[in-house]
Amino acid sequence: MKKNVFKRFAAMSLAVVMVTGLAGCGNGNEADFTLEPGDPDDLPDEISLMADTIITEENGLQDFCDEYERQTGIKLSIEKPDHAKYYEKVTLSFASEEPADIIEMGSTYYPELANSGALWDMTEAWNNTTSNCKNIIDEDYVEALKINGVLYGFPMAAGNGTITYVRDDWMKEAGLSNPKNYDEFLTMLRAFKARGQGTIPLTSSGFLNNGETPYDIYLREFYQDAIPDFYKDEETGKYVDGFAQPEMKEAIQRLRDAYQEGLIDAEIVTNKTSTCRDKLGSGLVGAFNYWAGMWSLKLQRSMNEGQLKAIPPIEETGGYTERVPTAFAMSIYAPNKGAIFEHFLMFSHDGGAGQMLFTHGVEDKHYVMNPDGSATALPYYSDPDNTVEKSIYAPELTITEWNDPIPLDPMVKDSLEEFRKNRVFAKVPIVRDAIAENLADLNVVKDVVMANAVTGKTSVDEAIEYYNTKGSYYANAILEDLNSEENLKAEEEALAAATGGSASDDEAAEE
Amino acid sequence: MANNNDNFDHVIVKKPSVGQRMFKYRYFYLMFIPVAIVLLIFYYWPMLGIRYAFSTFKLKQITLRTGPDYSIGLGNFTRLLSSDPFHAAFKNTIVLSFVNLVLAMVCSVAIALLINEIQNAWGKKIVQTVLYLPHFLSWVVAASIFMLILSAGTDATGADTSNTGFINAILLQLGILDKPVDFLTESKAWPTVWYIMNRWKETGWGTIIYLAALSSISPDLYEAAEIDGAGRMKQTWYITIPSIMNTILVVFILNLAKIMNVFESVFVFYNSLVYDVSDVIQTYTYRVGIVGNDYGYSTAIGLFKSVVSLILVSSSDIISKKIRGYGIV
Repeated sequence: MKKNVFKRFAAMSLAVVMVTGLAGCGNGNEADFTLEPGDPDDLPDEISLMADTIITEENGLQDFCDEYERQTGIKLSIEKPDHAKYYEKVTLSFASEEPADIIEMGSTYYPELANSGALWDMTEAWNNTTSNCKNIIDEDYVEALKINGVLYGFPMAAGNGTITYVRDDWMKEAGLSNPKNYDEFLTMLRAFKARGQGTIPLTSSGFLNNGETPYDIYLREFYQDAIPDFYKDEETGKYVDGFAQPEMKEAIQRLRDAYQEGLIDAEIVTNKTSTCRDKLGSGLVGAFNYWAGMWSLKLQRSMNEGQLKAIPPIEETGGYTERVPTAFAMSIYAPNKGAIFEHFLMFSHDGGAGQMLFTHGVEDKHYVMNPDGSATALPYYSDPDNTVEKSIYAPELTITEWNDPIPLDPMVKDSLEEFRKNRVFAKVPIVRDAIAENLADLNVVKDVVMANAVTGKTSVDEAIEYYNTKGSYYANAILEDLNSEENLKAEEEALAAATGGSASDDEAAEE
Repeated sequence: MANNNDNFDHVIVKKPSVGQRMFKYRYFYLMFIPVAIVLLIFYYWPMLGIRYAFSTFKLKQITLRTGPDYSIGLGNFTRLLSSDPFHAAFKNTIVLSFVNLVLAMVCSVAIALLINEIQNAWGKKIVQTVLYLPHFLSWVVAASIFMLILSAGTDATGADTSNTGFINAILLQLGILDKPVDFLTESKAWPTVWYIMNRWKETGWGTIIYLAALSSISPDLYEAAEIDGAGRMKQTWYITIPSIMNTILVVFILNLAKIMNVFESVFVFYNSLVYDVSDVIQTYTYRVGIVGNDYGYSTAIGLFKSVVSLILVSSSDIISKKIRGYGIV
């Protein structure tokens, strides 16, 4: 009898523990917050920042915060989680009801968080600001971050993109100039192949860059007008599955022909980007599409011999793709939003002391000013062999016109100039529940289709048939949701609201 | 003469109550309190998270602090069980892990027996060190090594790209192959290569527990067997293996509980040409979790995995009890 009583007591205790647990982690309460910007001159005592790509603690992060406080009178607290767990920490910070005021957002998570309602709409604040940033910024970068006309984050720096690097010395030896079109591009690759044993005319890592959009960024010469993703057809106003379009079949055929001719690295399916860089460094590779800017210098330095150069895009591609910029977004729970916008975001792009701090760090700690007005970067505290590249904003990816006292390396400058002359901005990835539920499975089908068709394990037609059979379930679910009346109308309304009109106004005008 | 025990037949020994026993051992319970708290907080409290498997719980619910929506019921499990990629991943997980587990057991026991036969102490230590070393390499490094040595080294036209791995080079020299094979992109070859990589990395480490078990066998048994005329093979078969059978069984059942957790070794080694034989539940969950931020669905997959592991362990324990008369649970 007593044993039973004990058992009952134990069971009840466990139940109480579980119920308490459920209550503790349950539905939560919607916290109090306002979406109003407040008075921009109402200085906050403290601003909290969660960031990933900033100078590390051992290299003077606290010096950065101290200098920010000295210049603005606002205390800055920065959390820099481990890179691999950054977005997990961002999500957890919302779950624990303590998100930072300002949060760094990459192009994949920016629309996710914006769509989830976690980020403050700063469109109006941007439109109304009188800061110097407005005069010196390249507004294309701000526009690139708008989702249906709404700005949820401010660009930290250019999104940058990839550009095709080729062996200039091999080009000269073959008497070739920069390829202007696809035929000339193939001629160049054939000339590289003709160099003989060991040469890899072009290397890459996989056929689709499934890690983040745009998926076709590393093989633009072959994809050309094909888009292996969902996009809105401007003519019909409806979304289409780019992978199922005829242009995609042609792109697969081009890749297959080049691969079968030995112009593309046979190990493209198993290559990692690091493997490609190693192959380039060992002098085996003729062409490699990789990031513009600092990487041009790093790739060149990794090579034992030979000279790299960045070439303009071939005409069929319509340009190189610039990624959606990395942004500083503001949590909806941040206080004094208008003031934080002015005294943090605008201050960081002011073309003066703020920009210098956010780009090169603290004077005499991270750089020194020279008598002639130029500056010299100092070595990292923890790595005396290398000098500080940036505090937060990469200097080579600046989005403002300002006089940076630390000049860029000519090779970095050249590759970026070539890239920017020919850039086409990528669109912010679309975020919908149907995409979240189906995209992972669909991307696997795409990967399988591309790999099998290009390496010759199946024909292109068989691959397309496979996609239509295995991928259509997921693709149709996504399209159905994207093209639903409710979604299209919501998009229209959001756009109309952001541009000052309304969907009904437009309809009336059409009538 | 009456049995002395008969005098106590009428005595009923009253078992102390739970309260009395707890009071008697009160200091033990006191010492157990910190352990119980740690167990509750770090092991049982997180288990409450399994309720999300029965909910729609996505990023939006976290950021807006609205909490999970439980109206979905078993919806996540319905989605899971109707997903073709999940079926494929489940099958691959079972096949790859189970074969790997059996190979691990056989290879580790065999190597342990061979190491045990080495008489020279220095030689034994050197062999053990060499065998243990690969365990300390990360899976990324192990995969890179295998990619290098297995490289076909030719382009699609068959032209040499001067980086043929030594396995292909040897097979070509011996005339076993007439042209290089890219083992890592062939669905038929990939599982075998993956098993070999796993055994190369982990077999040495797996021998430790068996070597410990072997050292506990009484030398008297071998002496007696020798006197009876048993050779090395018979001694191994009739003395050594039965003596370490309990250890083998325990290790097997414990490892069986982990067979659904295979991830890193596959993740760094698979590619789009071999998804059909290499995609496992953990890699599938990783993709769904990263792309979808679908915590409800990911938790449902995790719960499903745990249930399967529980069934596997319980079944093997029951089978062990039936065959050998004892299990470990």
